[in-house]
Amino acid sequence: MKYRLIRTISGRGQEPGQFTEMLRGIAVDTDGRVFAVGDTAVRVFQADGSLLRTWSTSSPGYCIAVARNGHVYVGLAGQIEIYEGNGTLIGAWRDEQHLGLVTAIGFADTSVLAADANARCIRRLDPSGKLLNTIGDDNRRSGFLIPNGVIDFAVDRKGVIHTANPGCHRVERFAIDGTRLGHFGRFDGQDPSGFPGCCNPTNVAVDDRGRIFVTEKAGPRAKVYDSDGTLLSVVADSQFELACKNMDLAVDSQGQVYVVDTVKLQILVFAPQAEPVAAGNTAAPSEGDESR
Amino acid sequence: MSEGLTRREAMGHAARGLAAIGLGVTAFHLIRKADGQIVWQLDHGRCVNSRLGAVGVNTCNLCTSECVVAQSAVRAVNDFSKCGRCYICPAYYNVTSAVDESGLPSEKLCPRDAITRTMIGDADPEDPANNFYEYVIDETKCDGCGKCVMGCKEPAGLGSIRLAVRHDLCVDCNRCAIAMACPDDAFTQASVEEAFERLETKGGT
Repeated sequence: MKYRLIRTISGRGQEPGQFTEMLRGIAVDTDGRVFAVGDTAVRVFQADGSLLRTWSTSSPGYCIAVARNGHVYVGLAGQIEIYEGNGTLIGAWRDEQHLGLVTAIGFADTSVLAADANARCIRRLDPSGKLLNTIGDDNRRSGFLIPNGVIDFAVDRKGVIHTANPGCHRVERFAIDGTRLGHFGRFDGQDPSGFPGCCNPTNVAVDDRGRIFVTEKAGPRAKVYDSDGTLLSVVADSQFELACKNMDLAVDSQGQVYVVDTVKLQILVFAPQAEPVAAGNTAAPSEGDESR
Repeated sequence: MSEGLTRREAMGHAARGLAAIGLGVTAFHLIRKADGQIVWQLDHGRCVNSRLGAVGVNTCNLCTSECVVAQSAVRAVNDFSKCGRCYICPAYYNVTSAVDESGLPSEKLCPRDAITRTMIGDADPEDPANNFYEYVIDETKCDGCGKCVMGCKEPAGLGSIRLAVRHDLCVDCNRCAIAMACPDDAFTQASVEEAFERLETKGGT
């Protein structure tokens, strides 16, 4: 399976659809609209990359997620802000103790999950923002090892939380009650199926089929694994600026992968490319084929 | 640093710098130099080995090769307040080398083996990846080649390791050979007072 770059969205600049200093988080809703948070603004783009709307956040945003009901959750330092899809602020959960630096948000069952990078763990909140339990802090290091400064996670259709634990070179799985379900990953600076450098992967996303997408820093790279942790493909590497790190990513229902270039402040969209069928061979390529 | 700064106040600045980044020896020797004396210092923002954004470039070792002092008066220091204490430190290991049987990189990065790695804190014996590690640079072995500085620089690391002029070793040449050779003009002269200020505000000299 190979991917090709089909589109770029936004970029560094002063235009309405651009970001001036930082682009930290993205999400894609069921209609293919792309939500991006950076600087102190949310920008929403149509699937074709055109700017749909923009609104301000109270402080710099670190992550963004779109709930099934269309509400937009933005993670900030010390709080989560909740907006209607049109940008109307409808709520804010302020809790500096439990939401010190919210770098990822997800949804499971009726719960809202928020990664607190200050405390190096994930908080599970009820629909009103009340803390239910904490996930990932029940080890000797009292949390995830994140020298890169952010925790990212994604929730699959079964409600399993897949979390990047970059200091351990793993993707770790949890149930929403905090039970550890397993992990995959290992350090390797040569074999692309491993995670290189001091601390990778930094970011993670999951698609409807349970495939796990990750990004890495130094050198920047996006990859996809099957649900067992077998590398399926390197989605992209050379397209990113070398100084990129903590590159958020998202996957839409078409299997297109959206990755943030944190230097260019741009979203790169990659589409899966069908393998050419050899003459006389009518069999479709296996989903598990590894491209590199 | 203001002109009216006393020696005692300067000592206070040095002590804070010492506590923050472990540059006690160089701070001590700065104190011993005369008020108003000119010293050489290294600007981390200009040095290619530590300058943010200079990614994918070769490490510069001119501080090693050009200094008239044997083994160079420039040495690497680790700012522990910024160090991530990683399981796999890209300044300690050659992270592109093959993985050994223990799952770690098979090669170290430092050609003089000047960095030691020690597990710290309440260790998890069953999961070595789930521990913190302290990396200490032996300045008697270091010759300022800059490999660990480049390895630690963001985005690969956190940029906690930097090169610094060791004022107990620097002989204060009028025409510093490193400064003459440095392609980034990272070697500059400053008064002792300015060097103290730099130690406090920018974490090194």
